[in-house]
Amino acid sequence: MTASTRSAVLSLYTRVFRIARAWQAQTGVMSDTETERRYIVQEARSLFRQNQQLTDQESIKRCIEECEARIEIGLHYRNPYPRAMYLPPMGLATQRGRRLRAQQRLRKQAKPIYLQSHDDT
Amino acid sequence: MAARVLQQCVRSLARPSLRLCPVSAALRAAVAPAVGVHRPVSFAADSRRTRWLGQSRISSVVVLCRQYGDLPPLTLETIKDRVMYVLKLYDKINPEKLQETSHFMKDLGLDSLDQVEIIMAMEDEFGFEIPDAEAEKLMSPEEIVQYIADKKDVYE
Repeated sequence: MTASTRSAVLSLYTRVFRIARAWQAQTGVMSDTETERRYIVQEARSLFRQNQQLTDQESIKRCIEECEARIEIGLHYRNPYPRAMYLPPMGLATQRGRRLRAQQRLRKQAKPIYLQSHDDT
Repeated sequence: MAARVLQQCVRSLARPSLRLCPVSAALRAAVAPAVGVHRPVSFAADSRRTRWLGQSRISSVVVLCRQYGDLPPLTLETIKDRVMYVLKLYDKINPEKLQETSHFMKDLGLDSLDQVEIIMAMEDEFGFEIPDAEAEKLMSPEEIVQYIADKKDVYE
């Protein structure tokens, strides 16, 4: 991890916290605003800690891109939750034989950058 | 600070007219529209009135000062108390081990992400932004107090 990536990551962290400080929910309800602020802070903390130990330049860059993508999408749609994506074709096929590997490859390919750190499905 | 300078100006202005109009309400009404208040005026008025009466050399009951809704001026002591209070509230720091000179990374075992969170909490507490380049150099409560004192022009 070079000094430049370190400072980039820390400035992204501060940027997320600053966004969370001034966040207003789309619905206008005060409790939603509080919930979403807390969500942003908690999500940032957990994901940054989870990926803290990475040393590979490639994956660090991918995580930085993921963070920036989520910031941009969140600010644009005024929605901090990760944007849902469709299942790829053959995404839910059963685990039998040859179809398994093709299915996994399709799924990995179809997973957008802003969902990289999430391990569901 | 600016509030003290203004108090001096009002004091010097008001001295000749002290005998004439012993009502502070008149002055207050005159300056109130020109002032943008951020804090409730009653709170600031009370603290200001008690301090003013203690400091003024005019031997009168009348309070002649502008009731701005401003915060009380910072001193090194208050800055230090507030910084330590905020740090004690942070859950990853052990309050018993916290000293003024304790380094975040070496003594308290925090990492750079925690240090960022601490600096954000300080920004929230004191109400002004700390840029990234300077924020990552602040590694102990003492340095934070020094930095805030520099930025807010607090000398002692």
